[in-house]
Amino acid sequence: MASLPKRIIKETERLVSDPVPGITAEPHDDNLRYFEVTIEGPAGSPYENGIFQLELYLPDDYPMEAPKVRFLTKIYHPNIDRLGRICLDVLKTNWSPALQIRTVLLSIQALLASPNPNDPLANDVAEDWIKNEEGAKNKAREWTQLYATKK
Amino acid sequence: MSTYEEEHGTHENNDAATERRDARSQFQTLFQSIENPQSDNYLIELFASMIISPELQEEWLNSGDSKGNKGCPQEFIDSLPRIPAEQIPLKEPCPICYEKFGDDEYPLVAELPHCHHKFDLQCISLWLSKQNTCPLCRDAVNEKNFDDIDVSKAELEEDWGMYG
Repeated sequence: MASLPKRIIKETERLVSDPVPGITAEPHDDNLRYFEVTIEGPAGSPYENGIFQLELYLPDDYPMEAPKVRFLTKIYHPNIDRLGRICLDVLKTNWSPALQIRTVLLSIQALLASPNPNDPLANDVAEDWIKNEEGAKNKAREWTQLYATKK
Repeated sequence: MSTYEEEHGTHENNDAATERRDARSQFQTLFQSIENPQSDNYLIELFASMIISPELQEEWLNSGDSKGNKGCPQEFIDSLPRIPAEQIPLKEPCPICYEKFGDDEYPLVAELPHCHHKFDLQCISLWLSKQNTCPLCRDAVNEKNFDDIDVSKAELEEDWGMYG
């Protein structure tokens, strides 16, 4: 494997030494570009008390290209599809090399706090969210309980 | 023993040549069948087989020099103003690679014309070849106030020439 850019080393060190509250990110032992991530569901959201697992991968072109991030834990959210893919502008068209792993994960945490059914990735969930917000939130709570809570 | 093609890694070229020959014979068939209007279905199939796959289309669209590229023209990147060596803030890190400007023995630092954000020349050149926005403020770097800047400089020099 090619040597790891200094930037990635610095980001990793800071993620460990000065972690973001409610978020963990640990590089994989055999691939330092692959991170195991957990995000706590924000208080007051239907994801509260849930711990969601994600995978994050830094492509070869990082930071010219955004990190690839995906939910591994099942989640009922209008901007996250059944494969865990996330519809978030900073991961696609609004990526900037001045952003970092930390800011991306914070954006994802914010997305959990405020779902945006008008820019959906999971169409059925978004429709449900628009038609019956209370019902959809209850389902999101149910899924959080089922899939994102340690038993 | 390895073949000539293997040693020279020319397998793909060979495939491409075969494909070109295939396409040529398909076009030939196409021309011949114009006189034979009953082979419409065959024609449709033939055309369908020539359409490139969506994956390939996407790959081509994403590849460097296509029209989908939102990067700045190379001339713009080459003309980015560089900060004079004595004015480089040596302790500040480049926002893209996080290395302090002073860590480089011979730092080359560029400043974006309208927002004055500073980056390693190499880092910002690579980014601007992909996207025309400032990584920090996201303004389009090659659209605003360019004429103004150039004009004012030109006038200043002219004045000095006359009265200096």
